[in-house]
Amino acid sequence: MSVAEIEAREIQMEGGSGDLWSEAMYRLIRNPAAVVGALIVATFIAVAIFAPLLAPYDPREQNLDLIAEGCCPGPSRDYPLGVDDLGRDELSRIIYGARFSLLIGIVSVSVGLTFGLLLGSIAGYFRPLDSPIMRVMDVMLAIPGFLMAIGIVALLGPGLGSVMIAIGVINVPIFTRLMRGSIIGQRDNDYVLAARAVGVPGRRILASHIMPNAISPVIVAGTLALATAIIDAAGLGFLGLGPQDPATPEWGTMLTDTVRYLQSAPFLAILPGVAIVIVVMGFNLIGDGLREALDPKLRGRA
Amino acid sequence: MNELLQVEDLTVRFWTRRGIVHAVNGISFSVAPQETLGIVGESGCGKSVTALALMGILPRAGRIVAGKALFEGRDLVTLGDRELRDIRGKDIAMIFQDPMTSLNPVLTIGKQLREAIEAHLDLDGGQLERRAADLLDRVGIPNAKARMRDYPHQFSGGMRQRVMIAIALACEPKLVIADEPTTALDVTIQAQILDLLRQLVAEEGTALILITHDLGVVAGMCEHVHVMYAGTLVETGSADQLFAHPRHPYTLGLLQSVPRLDAGRRQMLQPIEGQPPNMLTEPIACPYVPRCQYRREICGQQLPLLEDRGHGQCAACFNPVPPDTWKRTRLGGEAA
Repeated sequence: MSVAEIEAREIQMEGGSGDLWSEAMYRLIRNPAAVVGALIVATFIAVAIFAPLLAPYDPREQNLDLIAEGCCPGPSRDYPLGVDDLGRDELSRIIYGARFSLLIGIVSVSVGLTFGLLLGSIAGYFRPLDSPIMRVMDVMLAIPGFLMAIGIVALLGPGLGSVMIAIGVINVPIFTRLMRGSIIGQRDNDYVLAARAVGVPGRRILASHIMPNAISPVIVAGTLALATAIIDAAGLGFLGLGPQDPATPEWGTMLTDTVRYLQSAPFLAILPGVAIVIVVMGFNLIGDGLREALDPKLRGRA
Repeated sequence: MNELLQVEDLTVRFWTRRGIVHAVNGISFSVAPQETLGIVGESGCGKSVTALALMGILPRAGRIVAGKALFEGRDLVTLGDRELRDIRGKDIAMIFQDPMTSLNPVLTIGKQLREAIEAHLDLDGGQLERRAADLLDRVGIPNAKARMRDYPHQFSGGMRQRVMIAIALACEPKLVIADEPTTALDVTIQAQILDLLRQLVAEEGTALILITHDLGVVAGMCEHVHVMYAGTLVETGSADQLFAHPRHPYTLGLLQSVPRLDAGRRQMLQPIEGQPPNMLTEPIACPYVPRCQYRREICGQQLPLLEDRGHGQCAACFNPVPPDTWKRTRLGGEAA
């Protein structure tokens, strides 16, 4: 590289905004798909938080008069999305359902990330522990994820908490594997050697040098895992392993309960399904956008 | 014994899938306080491995199998991890070859500088900040205070190497090992960095081991020069003596292979023919034999030892080059 080139590059780089995250943010907001995803997710989170303000009715309130003539009357002026087989307002149930999906997504992915990052970092950085940890993870990966989730819920007993734990657990080997690979990719870098040469202790090198460099693929995977967690939760709910209180407005459970009325009132099954699809798509769009924004090969470019 | 560092018979091996690599085979040398020592040799001859071994940061596959490295009377080879860590950065610091990869891309320059200081000195926030800025200022980075908040990718290669030098000097080490500090840099910047290094080392009274393959760099900076080949020292001496009267055929070959600006355009370069030896076998004869123009029968049968050739110069050779050969061929070269 000539002096002129170096200077040109320096000027160009000084134009950039600085650290990894603000640069990634900048690229993210210029990606239309990611912006759409962010809007969907933001709406979803807002709906979940402000559910009591947005929902026209109590999602558990039954109004059996409405279904006296059979199940189930479709949308009307008072009930924009109709009522379900127990005369509960479908719109309110979907709005409240966002709370459960969000809760399940966040808690289960947090469980998975916590253990996955920890185990993956240890396996990647402390070599003697690599093989023991990864063999356990291999065993977990050998069992189909959803099947294992069913097994765990069966073991713990059905319920919202069990569902979150189960989905968290099936995410652990995925995050562990990813983090380990990413750490190994960074472990032998010159800056690690340079930090060692300065006398920085091993644990500090892992925490403050390697982790920040290794974590971005895991963040992307975490975002995408939120989407999968919502689908899995709906799946477990559909199988009757979700919240056991039948009044709980959980999207997956709502699907199961209305499957009998598929012919007379298809909207009851379609609406929660549509809600799931939209939210999952939102998370996927953000995840993909993040993946591109954090791609080290694209760093330094606008 | 007033040497700062005394290395005796240092031997490093690597266990690889293809076999045991004999990377460093029993080298001995010493560094006096404030001395500048040059270690010269081609790629893969064990220069960098020697440096990493002294710092105790060899890759996992490598191990010191024999030898001593006394630093102020303490043997670096037998010290525990913790004690070595206390010495690294504080007493012995290292500057790496490639400044583009030796700085962590996600941490600010200031953070990395502060970390180097914090690792060994107990300073409060304000002092730490001042010291870091002061260091950056001393290595010639303009507007040091503001640039502490910048990330490595906002610095050019030369600037980054300046930062690396600042990090190395952060705790006023007694010895700095610079492993090809200018190889990755532009020629014009190389001179600046070397000047800076020379000036700072002189100001601080720091000893310096300069590892390089660039004879010009060594000639300009070092009092003593060790020439390394295939994990052994083949010739040692003062820089003046060694470059005026090389006695080992390898040193001569190195000197002859440097392209000269004043050579005629048609004049061919004089490379050293052949390849460095396979390091997988334990050396039992002179490693330079296959490429040597001065070889005799004994060279293929026995390992030559470093022997005194007068004027403080040592060469490990059974049939050393006559002292004035280099002068003659150089003059002859100019005449042609």
